[in-house]
Amino acid sequence: MSMIRFDNLSKRYESGYEALRSVSFEMDAGEMAFLTGHSGAGKSTLLKLLMLIERPTSGNLLINGKNLNRLPDAKVPFYRRQVGVVFQNHQLLFDRSVFDNVALPLQVAGYSQGDIGRRVRAALDSVGLLDREKANPIALSGGEQQRVGIARAVVHKPKILLADEPTGNLDPQLSAEIMALFKRFQDVGVTVLVASHDINLINRMNMRIMRLNQGEMEQDGVSYGGY
Amino acid sequence: MAATNSKSRDSAQRGARGQVLSRLDRWHSYRQHHRATLKSSTVKILREPLQSLLTVLVIAIALTLPAALYLGVENIRQLSGGVDASAQISVFVKKGARESALEALGEKLESLSGVASVSYISAQMAVDEFEALSGFGSALEYLDENPLPDSFLVQPLLVSDAPRLVTEIRQLNLVDDVQLDLEWLQRLDALLDMGRKLVLALGAALGLGVILVVGNTIRLAIQSRRDEITVVKLVGGTDAYVRRPFLYSGLLFGIFGAMVAALMLTALRFWLAGPVDKLALLYQSQFSITGLGLGGVITLLLIGGTIGLIGAWLAVGQHLRNIKPR
Ligand SMILES: Nc1ncnc2c1ncn2[C@@H]1O[C@H](COP(=O)(O)OP(=O)(O)O)[C@@H](O)[C@H]1O
Ligand SMILES: [Mg+2]
Repeated sequence: MSMIRFDNLSKRYESGYEALRSVSFEMDAGEMAFLTGHSGAGKSTLLKLLMLIERPTSGNLLINGKNLNRLPDAKVPFYRRQVGVVFQNHQLLFDRSVFDNVALPLQVAGYSQGDIGRRVRAALDSVGLLDREKANPIALSGGEQQRVGIARAVVHKPKILLADEPTGNLDPQLSAEIMALFKRFQDVGVTVLVASHDINLINRMNMRIMRLNQGEMEQDGVSYGGY
Repeated sequence: MAATNSKSRDSAQRGARGQVLSRLDRWHSYRQHHRATLKSSTVKILREPLQSLLTVLVIAIALTLPAALYLGVENIRQLSGGVDASAQISVFVKKGARESALEALGEKLESLSGVASVSYISAQMAVDEFEALSGFGSALEYLDENPLPDSFLVQPLLVSDAPRLVTEIRQLNLVDDVQLDLEWLQRLDALLDMGRKLVLALGAALGLGVILVVGNTIRLAIQSRRDEITVVKLVGGTDAYVRRPFLYSGLLFGIFGAMVAALMLTALRFWLAGPVDKLALLYQSQFSITGLGLGGVITLLLIGGTIGLIGAWLAVGQHLRNIKPR
């Protein structure tokens, strides 16, 4: 059974703009894919539907076989706990340490203090920032901040990892490192979907690429470039 | 076969225990979050001392005013309660009555049904008492004649008998005027009733004010923590989780405000104690001001906490809805 299944999904915003038009695709558990397309193509909208930040206008969205359309609002937080999400503007909180930023999803889900310590350190270790746990994220470089964001997205061991332009502000070297990091999470069975308009970078990753154009799925297949 | 069975039972038991443990764990971490939230809410209140102090003071004043009025009304009621038992009928005798006629009148009064006791106050005694109480005694010396009449004080058995006795006494010979002290008591009762209603009205109006003040403070807090709320929601924080710190803040504001109000009321009481004692001495009364007491303080804290919580609840309900994602 596929982990993510879009079934003729459309999203029309209240403004009347149709950001997604009858989009269909599937992703298996443990699969990794890139979502690309011009600015305004609907990448963020697609990820917002997956986070239930927005609800589709029509069509079905199935996660692990469950139709999210039938998920009541009160259950949405519990669904979100199965998903990890990384943003371009990483949304770190500067009023607390790196540790406390990463701990947030665990605190929210009611983990015990001991569990939180173990898991946060494991997550920081996996992004190579174990020694910065006490730092304030504002003191970190852009690449490090993005890695803190990734640690926060994976700390609760989500089944699905989503990223919206995670390398937006980073130079090519750092961008490649971040992408390699996502690949590592796929290796341990996480389903990873990364939205990025950095064509050069994702072509080199030699992975499945879905291209949106004006809200329609224009192309879906393994990348053609790279070498 | 048996081995497999016991093993599967074993693992089932472990599973069951695991279930219980994890539920216990969740309960612990739930309580832990409550405690942590209470702590961080307190810290946040202390971190913005000016805004917090302002809020707490406004709440304190809004609680102090109706509470002080309430205490005033209660004290006067207690004072009048002492008088109530001795509701008396003053019977003033016509001037120039002969001694024997006065005696006859006294006996007649005693014989009326429903009379507990009768005491005679001569005009001279009345003057002496007036001098002692008012200090205006010397003024009377300038008058040729004692202006006060002889009188009887009739004590009815039951306060409810008093009006009937007044009508009966009025028809007796030599009686010039009859005054029932109950009248001013009834008037005082009506006043106290009004006072109590005023306490309620003032309390309701100021309570509403407190709700608005707390609501506004919480609204500012929500705005300043917008980013945090967004992130918490995105990582799966429930509405209850997001609401909790703000509800605690409201509760704390209310309780702190009530504490300050209790201090203000205590200060007010000590401030008034001196003059009241003097007044009581003047009237030969045992009266002294009754303060809030422990029960009153607890009630005040409960009211403050509840109002703070309501204010926070309303603000949270209104302003969290506006923060995406829902
Ligand atoms: N909340 C919104 N209300 C109305 N229109 C929106 C909203 N969010 C996005 N859009 C529009 O939908 C289109 C797709 O946006 P988006 O999904 O952010 O594209 P991308 O991430 O691919 O750049 C854009 O034209 C954008 O203006
Ligand atoms: Mg976008």
